Amino acid sequence: MLTLKEVKAAIAFDQPKLRATAADRRILVEGSYLVSERDVVAAPDGPIAEFNIRMELPDLYPRREPKVFEVGGRIPRNPDRHINPDGDCCVTVWENWLAASRDHSFGSFLKGPLSEYFLGQFWFEKTGKWPFGERPHGLKGLEEAYADALGIANKRESLLYHLRLLSQDWPKGHWPCPCGSGKALRRCHHQDLMAMHRRVPPDIARRMLLRLDPKN
Amino acid sequence: MTMHDKRLAKTHDDILEAMAEALAIPPSKLEEARSRYEAIGNWLDRPESTLADYDPAISPQGSFLLGTVTRPLTDAEEYDVDLVCRLNATKAEFTQKSLKDAVGYEVGLYAKAHGMTKPDDGRRCWTLNYAAGAQFHMDILPALPDAQRYQTKLLAEGYRTLAHDSALSGHAIAITDKTLPHYDQPTEDWPQSNPTGYGAWFRNRMLVQLTESKKAFAKRERITASVDEIPDYKVKTPLQRAVQLLKRHRDCMFAEDCEHKPISIIITTLSAHAYNEETTISGALQSILTVMDRYIEDRGGAAWVANPVNPAENFADKWAEEPKKSENFDRWLGQARQDFALYLRANAFDKVPELLREHLGPQLVDRAMAAVLPVAAAGLAAPAIITSAARAEDVDRAQHAVDQINRAGPQSKPWARS
Ligand SMILES: [Zn+2]
Repeated sequence: MLTLKEVKAAIAFDQPKLRATAADRRILVEGSYLVSERDVVAAPDGPIAEFNIRMELPDLYPRREPKVFEVGGRIPRNPDRHINPDGDCCVTVWENWLAASRDHSFGSFLKGPLSEYFLGQFWFEKTGKWPFGERPHGLKGLEEAYADALGIANKRESLLYHLRLLSQDWPKGHWPCPCGSGKALRRCHHQDLMAMHRRVPPDIARRMLLRLDPKN
Repeated sequence: MTMHDKRLAKTHDDILEAMAEALAIPPSKLEEARSRYEAIGNWLDRPESTLADYDPAISPQGSFLLGTVTRPLTDAEEYDVDLVCRLNATKAEFTQKSLKDAVGYEVGLYAKAHGMTKPDDGRRCWTLNYAAGAQFHMDILPALPDAQRYQTKLLAEGYRTLAHDSALSGHAIAITDKTLPHYDQPTEDWPQSNPTGYGAWFRNRMLVQLTESKKAFAKRERITASVDEIPDYKVKTPLQRAVQLLKRHRDCMFAEDCEHKPISIIITTLSAHAYNEETTISGALQSILTVMDRYIEDRGGAAWVANPVNPAENFADKWAEEPKKSENFDRWLGQARQDFALYLRANAFDKVPELLREHLGPQLVDRAMAAVLPVAAAGLAAPAIITSAARAEDVDRAQHAVDQINRAGPQSKPWARS
């Protein structure tokens, strides 16, 4: 469970213009987020950019994803800028980050996706391009992100089938192998699937599945 | 002096260095203090001295030993130079009282011979006051060698490594305390101290940068001497600079409440723990201010800042009975973290935020800045031309930041829910 102490420690020195407070079942982080180079304690000209933000961190973080709002009105409210009309920032596809990175601490989120998002916004302001790429909107973006996390081709049926297998604590060996060979998984790509299972554990696979197809 | 004579600051570290230099004891003052305490040492050791048979030796302890002396806040206040006067004798030859008196007698003669007032008789020290202009006084701590008993205790407490490290525990001393009941009785269990061991520990925490600083010094001064021949006090490491800045910040913040301000030994010890041989003052401050409080232990509910060369000793032993001291430490650390972080992380190098300026002393900051910045750069509006140039630089910097992330592999891509 995320504690106020952990959040305060993460922003203490590196983000001196953010303030953290505890609210009902969540932690609020508000103020100015500073975009800087990595591994630079003090840039002679100051930060590259600043964004006024409000962050809502659920106490179940990282199981529940943080919400980030740009509140300074600097980013035009346009889906192509990866922001919703209420300023809600689509920083990343959450489960993709959970599967792709080992360190899910709040500090890691602050220095990873959040920094990439706002550096990206600054870069887009200057050049009209996204420096680290972007996801398609909506469902298509989810599918692409999940296929990336699994390391498979982005085909919906195959993705859903992989996720059903991965949702099981012990993927069923007698199910057909997802490669389409017609053989049972245990006689085909069992090793590969188990490696994927370690990378994308069942709880994350279940959430991916739920978001792709709420009927599941 | 023309503009070209100035060594102009270009980074936060240049400014921090200038401020640390301005709040350190001036080299001439340091030399004066050294020659004065050496004179006392010579006096105690002169042939007709009543202590001559005991090879009396004077050595600095505390900030003079560690190289972290800061100027007093006002010219009216004095440097207090902490000295150990160690006799080569045993507790069979002295009681605490007779040792204190024997040292006091000779220090008194020294004062008289130099037209000074009688030394003050403190709980553990003799205080020698110089004429007003000298701006310092000497606290002289009478002591006997007591390493063996010190090391035996360490062993009994389970600190084997410390007990066997002669640099850390081989120079421990027995000291006197006139408030103790057996003060004038022949006993073995005198109070102990280990300033030399602490100094060795502190020096170890910055050994790499101490050597680097000496190499740089030799190069700068075109000295061919080897690094070992350059005395420590000729250079300052990022750790020493950071400690000076933090002590100064503490002094200014608690100018009205000296009673309960966080004590130097706590700030120094926690800083040295947190320091990781960073090569810059800003890097040292980042490490120190981020993690220094993690070195405060919790021993059975009591906050414990262990003496690194005698972990059974708690530098924060007053916190339990005076919660205000512990609260003040937290308040100070929070403020120091905020003040330095705001400057280093959120401002250009030539813009010192108001609170940091206030907490390091406005006059001192302004003077240090004026010495390393062209004109009074801070606060002046920049011409439009520079603004657009700066904007092109912003893109260059962003490009660099993007490259850094691309090299490490980005962790995310922006998306949109709908
Ligand atoms: Zn297969």
